[in-house]
Amino acid sequence: MATRTIEPRSRVEPNRSAWVENVAGQLLALVLSLTIALGFGALLVLAYGENPFDVYGAILSYSLGSLDGFGYVLAIATPLIFSALAVAICFKGGMFNIGVEGQYLVGMVTAAWAALSLGFLPPPLQVVGVLLAGMLGGMLWASVPAVLKVTTGAHEVVTTIMMNGIAVSLLAWALNYPLRFSQAPVGQNVDLRTDEFPETALIGDMGRVFGITSGAHLSWLLLLAIVLAIVVWFLLRRTRLGYEGRAVGSAPGAAKAGGISIAATQLRLFLISGALAGLVGMQQILADRGYLGTNYIAQLGFTGIAVAFLGQNNPIAIIFAAILWGILSRGEVALQIETEVPREFIIILQGILILSVVITYQIAKRRLAARQLQRAGAAGALEDSAAPADTDEPLSDVTPVRREEA
Amino acid sequence: MPLTDISVAMQISFTYFTVLYLTGLGGLFSERSGIVNIGLEGLMIIGTVTGAWGARYFTDTLDLGLPWGPLLGLLAGAIAGMLFASIHAVSTITFRLDHIVSGVVINLVAVGLARFLSQAFFGQATQSDPGGPHLDRIAIPLLSDLPWGLGRAFSNLSPVVLLAAFTVVPAWWALNRLRWGLRLRSCGENPEAARSLGIRVSPYRFEGVLLSGALAGTSGAFLASEVVGNWREGQTLGLGFIALAALIISNWNPVRLMFFAWLFGFAQAIPLRLNDAPLISALPPQFIRMIPYVVTIVAIAGFVGRVRPPASAGKAYEGAGGI
Repeated sequence: MATRTIEPRSRVEPNRSAWVENVAGQLLALVLSLTIALGFGALLVLAYGENPFDVYGAILSYSLGSLDGFGYVLAIATPLIFSALAVAICFKGGMFNIGVEGQYLVGMVTAAWAALSLGFLPPPLQVVGVLLAGMLGGMLWASVPAVLKVTTGAHEVVTTIMMNGIAVSLLAWALNYPLRFSQAPVGQNVDLRTDEFPETALIGDMGRVFGITSGAHLSWLLLLAIVLAIVVWFLLRRTRLGYEGRAVGSAPGAAKAGGISIAATQLRLFLISGALAGLVGMQQILADRGYLGTNYIAQLGFTGIAVAFLGQNNPIAIIFAAILWGILSRGEVALQIETEVPREFIIILQGILILSVVITYQIAKRRLAARQLQRAGAAGALEDSAAPADTDEPLSDVTPVRREEA
Repeated sequence: MPLTDISVAMQISFTYFTVLYLTGLGGLFSERSGIVNIGLEGLMIIGTVTGAWGARYFTDTLDLGLPWGPLLGLLAGAIAGMLFASIHAVSTITFRLDHIVSGVVINLVAVGLARFLSQAFFGQATQSDPGGPHLDRIAIPLLSDLPWGLGRAFSNLSPVVLLAAFTVVPAWWALNRLRWGLRLRSCGENPEAARSLGIRVSPYRFEGVLLSGALAGTSGAFLASEVVGNWREGQTLGLGFIALAALIISNWNPVRLMFFAWLFGFAQAIPLRLNDAPLISALPPQFIRMIPYVVTIVAIAGFVGRVRPPASAGKAYEGAGGI
């Protein structure tokens, strides 16, 4: 899956210009890809005989035009932040966790069980217990592919796809047997679901503090998501595990030669990723609905992959990427009410956006690297110091070289 | 438990086999050319919605009747799958995007695109009217005359089931005996070596991915128009991923894929028909649905045998042009 190997770049001049060039290049790529996506979207809108400016305007006014609208956007973004963080932390360590989907389903099951059975704890501890149960569930589900990867070399992409399939059935089983509601409402044929969780196990409404309608279900989980994004940033950038993880992710051979245990590092990152994934489902069961049913919102794990790539796997950028995604998703409502364009336009626009972002970044990175390599080469020839050395930022902006299974 | 139940389960398993085999074979051509394709589910989804539309359009609106209407419906699914797969091909081959990222996007977009198309085709977003046209059912001679109800397994089948089963011959032949297949495989195993022999890698990879779109699209069209009779959102039910599992555990081999596509198809049929059988009745049906995935994990982890993917599958090939 390696998209590019790392070329050695020699440090022949202060690298500030290269750094500025990198940031400028990335910004340019972002603007370019947004323009491309919106341009394609505009063509689709025109095909439907509507004015693109009206359509985009409607999307913006429904999401950013009012406090309530923005509340809806943030509520949509909350689970996506957890999900994208889970993807990003693995990606930095050279692994692709496409099992976030299954991990959060299992997290919802364990959290639902905890919500229904931790009633003996004092109220604040109940919520903590439920969240921990969700994280443990996700971690448990991630531990299988993680352990298999480091012990047998089984590729995590394949094993996590399979674990996703198992999780869907596991959730269905849990709702049919151990967690099935105890009394069905009389005379009603309701969907299969758990009993309602006790009020004390639910997450409080954060929107009320800011005067946002309770219909948005904006919860304190958003705050947790932002805090965790900062924690993940700190972990990746300022701790030993993060350093080793990035080393393993960008150059496993060099990391190993430097005395880093690839297996231990990847195992730990994968488990943390699973714990984060376990929080993805909390918004819907603890803030939105208050029970777990067969009508749960699926696909959040896969959407998290898209958001992670939109944010270039940077924990802080992921917050904004999730909000951008939320703005677009909120647009479905705007389209339905304000325009004749079908709401499915949004999901197609999101698809075009993510493709154009990853492709543009890919090209930009390759161009930048080639340019810097060329310049370093020219300077190196001048000064006759061709010894390659590390650059300032060797780990952050490089697509990880992925180990193939044996 | 009467033998008829086993027969009917067998008959259902043949239907699932068709879906899994066609989709898995699609994945096989793509991965053997070096492009990992986890977007099979999405390609199938596009096949279902266009297939259901095509069967109706060609049979009723253009009044072509049987069997041309349903056959052209399958073809519509194949073409739609191929067009949709071209996105995966361009992003992974031309732009050298990570194959997994591209596959995930394919799956995400397919859900929205299917609704979009459904809105355009049927005027409703999540299903079409039931009872669409399908090919006349056939009974396999001799086998369908088996006594004690066993014959039921081989009667009332869609002709596509037979067609899918026989696809193994050209597929195996093309991969192992044709120059095209040998070259395609060399692009998946060692593209540098292939190039040094004057083989252009990118066209072969394009062909592999487009073929996977055509096959997965056909499979989706079969599911919607031949099996269910209409399009419904979510009717692929993760079968694309089970097909991927069958592909992996069969070690990317078209003949073994036949066996595992049938086996996993049978696992799907058990909860539908054999719930009362001894042993099985003790297990909740959800656990039986897990079987294909568990078996594949065990195989990929190397506990039983070892599977080996094409050596260069998933790796971008830097040699040829590109941007």
